[in-house]
Amino acid sequence: MLEPMLPENPFQDPLRFEPRTPECAIVIFGASGDLAKRKLMPALYRLAYDRRLSAGFAVIGVSRTPLSDEQYREKMLAAVREFSEDTKIDDEVWGAFARGLFYVAGDAGDPALYGRLGQKLAEVEQARSTGGNVLFYLSLQPSQYAPAALGLGAAGLGKGNGWRRLVVEKPFGHDLASARELSAQIHQVFGESDVYRIDHYLGKETVQNILAVRFGNGIFEPLWNRRYVNHVQITGAESIGVEGRGAYYQEAGALADMIQNHLLQVMATIAMEPAASFRAASVRDERSKLLRSMRPMTAEEIRTNAVPGQYGPARVGGQDLPGFRQEPGVDPRSRTDTYAAATFFVENWRWAGVPFYLRTGKRLPKRVTEIAIQFNAAPLAIFDGEGGDRPPNLLILRIQPEEGISLKFLSKRPGAGIELRPVSMDFNYGSSFGERSPSAYETLLLDAIAGDATLYTRQDMVEASWAVVEPIQNAWREAAPDFPNYAAGTWGPAAADEMLARRGHAWRRP
Amino acid sequence: MTAGALSPDRILRELAELWVATGKDGHAETGAGVLRACAMTLIVLAEESEDMASLDETLAALMPEHPARTILVRLRGTGAALAERVYAQCWMPFGERRQICCERIEIAAPDASLADLPSVLAPLAAPDLPVVLWWRGARPIETPEFASLAAVAGKVILDSATLRDARAALAWLAGLAQGGVLLGDLSWTLLTRWREMLSGVFENREYQARLAEISNVVVAFAGDRPPVFACYMGAWVADALADAGVRAKLAWQPRPQLTGRALRVELTGGDFRVALERQDDRLTIQTGGLSHRTNLPQPTDYLLMREELGIVRRDAVFERTLASAARLAAALP
Repeated sequence: MLEPMLPENPFQDPLRFEPRTPECAIVIFGASGDLAKRKLMPALYRLAYDRRLSAGFAVIGVSRTPLSDEQYREKMLAAVREFSEDTKIDDEVWGAFARGLFYVAGDAGDPALYGRLGQKLAEVEQARSTGGNVLFYLSLQPSQYAPAALGLGAAGLGKGNGWRRLVVEKPFGHDLASARELSAQIHQVFGESDVYRIDHYLGKETVQNILAVRFGNGIFEPLWNRRYVNHVQITGAESIGVEGRGAYYQEAGALADMIQNHLLQVMATIAMEPAASFRAASVRDERSKLLRSMRPMTAEEIRTNAVPGQYGPARVGGQDLPGFRQEPGVDPRSRTDTYAAATFFVENWRWAGVPFYLRTGKRLPKRVTEIAIQFNAAPLAIFDGEGGDRPPNLLILRIQPEEGISLKFLSKRPGAGIELRPVSMDFNYGSSFGERSPSAYETLLLDAIAGDATLYTRQDMVEASWAVVEPIQNAWREAAPDFPNYAAGTWGPAAADEMLARRGHAWRRP
Repeated sequence: MTAGALSPDRILRELAELWVATGKDGHAETGAGVLRACAMTLIVLAEESEDMASLDETLAALMPEHPARTILVRLRGTGAALAERVYAQCWMPFGERRQICCERIEIAAPDASLADLPSVLAPLAAPDLPVVLWWRGARPIETPEFASLAAVAGKVILDSATLRDARAALAWLAGLAQGGVLLGDLSWTLLTRWREMLSGVFENREYQARLAEISNVVVAFAGDRPPVFACYMGAWVADALADAGVRAKLAWQPRPQLTGRALRVELTGGDFRVALERQDDRLTIQTGGLSHRTNLPQPTDYLLMREELGIVRRDAVFERTLASAARLAAALP
């Protein structure tokens, strides 16, 4: 039966008020885990601190450890104190927030858990006026995603008085077949429109700003095509190693951990066609279309257009750094890629023939994520002494750590004669908008509560990116790479430089 | 005194030289130069007798979020002719290597030169960016040059709380708005978080369904007569209820126990009751039998201006509330 239509809230003032969020309960599976403590709870507390959550709000933590509501609240307070980087703990705000925190102990694979959870949800709906809306957040081991979704379904919790949504953390499968299988199991309980696959990269302010820059301005889009763009480089570099996650990481690798999701989503945002509107369906349709326009590589193309790497030990800044195989929990003969670089092509009229170079790696010289769009050189060198090595025009979109945009172009050096010198026109996101940027999890949690899936990944996008990545993954598994092939603290294996050099290009040094 | 004695061209030249020097200094200090940031021109008119150090702090705090070419006009009554100085205000964002700088022009203006100011200010505005005029204090309403100064800017920000008579202030502001001046009133800005909390109550479907039951609205305030912000609150609530088809009776209530900018708003009907009251840095919301207190720091000039500078376009809700508040104030005994 349809709900009776309620009038719009007449007190709304969208120009000045923060966007409204409906009342709801969030059920966090894996409530004692790292993600919940480091990211989810600090993000939720910050939203409460900023008064972004409805008064009818509650969190139910679910985890195996037996805890009372009060013990769970204490544990979460400790987590917020430790991991909230820029939010002070206000006793009164925390007190009001903590009164909405509840706990249910149990294993996601145990059907009895869902009976207890259902009972708690009913109590919380009454006590906290959550309107029957529930956001289930799976912060679990990937192998438990399907059992949790099916458990919710079997207990009848996939439907209720209000809406029911499911947030799933990456990885969405470990290959195309497993991604499809996971999706099919989840769809037994939740429709695709109620499934929110989280890729926290898309929640970053500056990734969203790519869309604003591209489609909010008239000057860039005419140049955004094969006629003017020479090639695009997307770098997601980390200076740290596996930081105690060696056992997990050696099952995933850089290609699956970063390129399959984060970097391909960034590439889709850079290269997609303009959406008809900024609604979830339109934007996701265009991202998906772009990913489906990428042709999977043949075996021969993989040999020349994809480079795996693994870091070896090195001394950096006076410190001895272990190689990947020396990291705790890692197999000393591990063939896992800690570095991956690939050249992709988009087969559409806009981008045909333009290489998109993607690279990611651990233990690279610095932590940086950026997109560099290199434009074609002027067709004629008319200035004396220019030679053939003019620095290219570059538009650089920096995602982290210093978010901003730089345009590099040539200018006349002051003095007699004409001598050209590259200059940079910089826009610094932080200095132009000094207000604090919300964390990616704050943005994405609010979006999920509000039912806005624009920044979430849809199943067809997951499948399209696996279709591109899986052949590379398979080829690398079958080969016997000569690892380690780059030293910690360097920009990756020489083969990655050669991959670009074959087309007359070179990696930027960000 | 004529504006000829104070040449905009010379000031702009000094600004250009300032950037060359600042760039060199930045290079020498950090090796990374400086980044010039400018998203608008902010013209501030303030009496020289004001606490300039406090105003400086407010302007400095605003710059990271609203980097601007700031033109501070110090109004000094009598005294010497127009005089100026230019300087850069820089800060180093945490963890970064490069300083970010905004430019500041200070002009000292005796009353006799007010008529000359627009011809000086207009060419000094940064091209192609919004111009906002913030006139502090009570003087605008009685200054004949107000219209020509306001015409330099795309938006004019005032604080009607500084104007003596709420009824006259609202009538004057409503007239300006009707005449096409894009206005901001800090007495309205003051209410944003309050209004948001009241609106939040009606995000709950249960309360939203009971909107039609509301028959009375009481706005309680300190003092004998409702100040401008109380008029705004009453007008806004009445307009919003009218939008929902609810005709509620609006009453004003002086309350001796309230002080300063304190305000209490109560919406009632049958057994339904919603009340908001501010005490110190806390706002208490009562809905039915439940009472909920939330953090609501007293807004400073910085917080109010931070919000107003973020809105450089028509604010339909404010304009409508201003017109209604002026009507309500005119009808007060």
